[in-house]
Amino acid sequence: MECVVQGIIETQHVEALEILLQGLCGVPKERLRIHELCLKSGPNLGAVASEVRLLCDLEQPEPTWTVRHVGGAMRGAGAEQISVLVRTVVESKASKNVLRFFYTLGYKLDHELLRVGFAFHFQRGAQITVTVTSVNKMLKLHATEEAVPVTPGIQLVEVTAPASSDNYTEVVAAISSFCEYLAPLLHLSKPNVSAGVVPTAAAAAASLMSNGGVT
Amino acid sequence: MPLKWLLHWQPNAGTTVNSQILSEVSQCVESINGAKEGRWKSTLTFYRPVLRDQTLQAEYPRDCLGISLQEQPNKYYFILRSQRIVLEADSTIQMIMEKLQSYKSRVSLYFEGFQYQLGDFQLRVGKVVPTHSENLRGIVMEVEYLPISSLDKSRQIMEDFVDIWQETVSKRSLPGHFMHIEPNFAEYGLSDHYTSQHTAVQYAIVMAQLIASVRN
Repeated sequence: MECVVQGIIETQHVEALEILLQGLCGVPKERLRIHELCLKSGPNLGAVASEVRLLCDLEQPEPTWTVRHVGGAMRGAGAEQISVLVRTVVESKASKNVLRFFYTLGYKLDHELLRVGFAFHFQRGAQITVTVTSVNKMLKLHATEEAVPVTPGIQLVEVTAPASSDNYTEVVAAISSFCEYLAPLLHLSKPNVSAGVVPTAAAAAASLMSNGGVT
Repeated sequence: MPLKWLLHWQPNAGTTVNSQILSEVSQCVESINGAKEGRWKSTLTFYRPVLRDQTLQAEYPRDCLGISLQEQPNKYYFILRSQRIVLEADSTIQMIMEKLQSYKSRVSLYFEGFQYQLGDFQLRVGKVVPTHSENLRGIVMEVEYLPISSLDKSRQIMEDFVDIWQETVSKRSLPGHFMHIEPNFAEYGLSDHYTSQHTAVQYAIVMAQLIASVRN
């Protein structure tokens, strides 16, 4: 399981966000360059349609592959009330022929994206990861070198933490608490519940940039 | 990692494998001073596609095998023999396949038995049984040569060992013999340097042989 919130931030404020996160974290950021391929089952395969994501980490000297299945979100009155999405997720590392493997099983490429940015990892009541990425689409099949932003000028911020059925309420609380640090710059909410950019972000960013010693 | 050859018992025409043969084979290992160490078990599972239109079966792989190996408890291997694909993944890939519901696991078989140390060799003699039955479907033997990882460099010593082994077994006049089939590893994208992916491919090949001999 994982707990997730998302938000958007204008690219011009990403540097300020990085300063804020660096200050909270104390450890240098991890660069991200991930080619994400979303595969869907062909029309005849499976009683119901299925979807799986292949993530290729292009930042490594030798690209590494992960298979990711995102399951349904937790439902019910309790789930409606919490501001963090709790969903099942299963991941597996895989050898580099994993795309060919799924194509042979009968999966088709639905879409692919290139996510470029950075991540910070925190231990604050839960193992929290904050990723800030621009989401890019490829104009030609698998052409990661020629990717263009899907939303120029806007980047995606995700705050995630792994959880289990035993501890998800604590993890939700840890994420909610952590998000308060980021509130001056961005509003974080469940995915698909968009809240737009924060009106005071520019002022907050300016403050961070001057405090961060950037001249 | 050290390389290994996977041998399987080929019964003589008109005969089947039985537990007496397994017992005799184990005694053979002990007779050449193989020191019994412990148990081992690997599991092989057949996966079949779930299709809405059964008439389109031919478009999907019918030989998808999943393998979990004793030597790699945190990994899982998928082999699509017709396409010469071997995938190595974390064992969580099984959970992903269950959630996808596009391929369902059908029959599973255990390859299990005892492990023996014999100088630089490690031998594993095992029976092949369905997971919910004691019905013996086959006998296999892993011959692992610990000092070398290169398939080419080890070929002579492995052939010499298997020759001695075959001779030892033949003295018992059992209705069959061990066979070794070397897959074309290059077709699977595998190199001369031995890995668990090579082992997974050998298991898939042996499984095909066991099925063929049951049919015959």
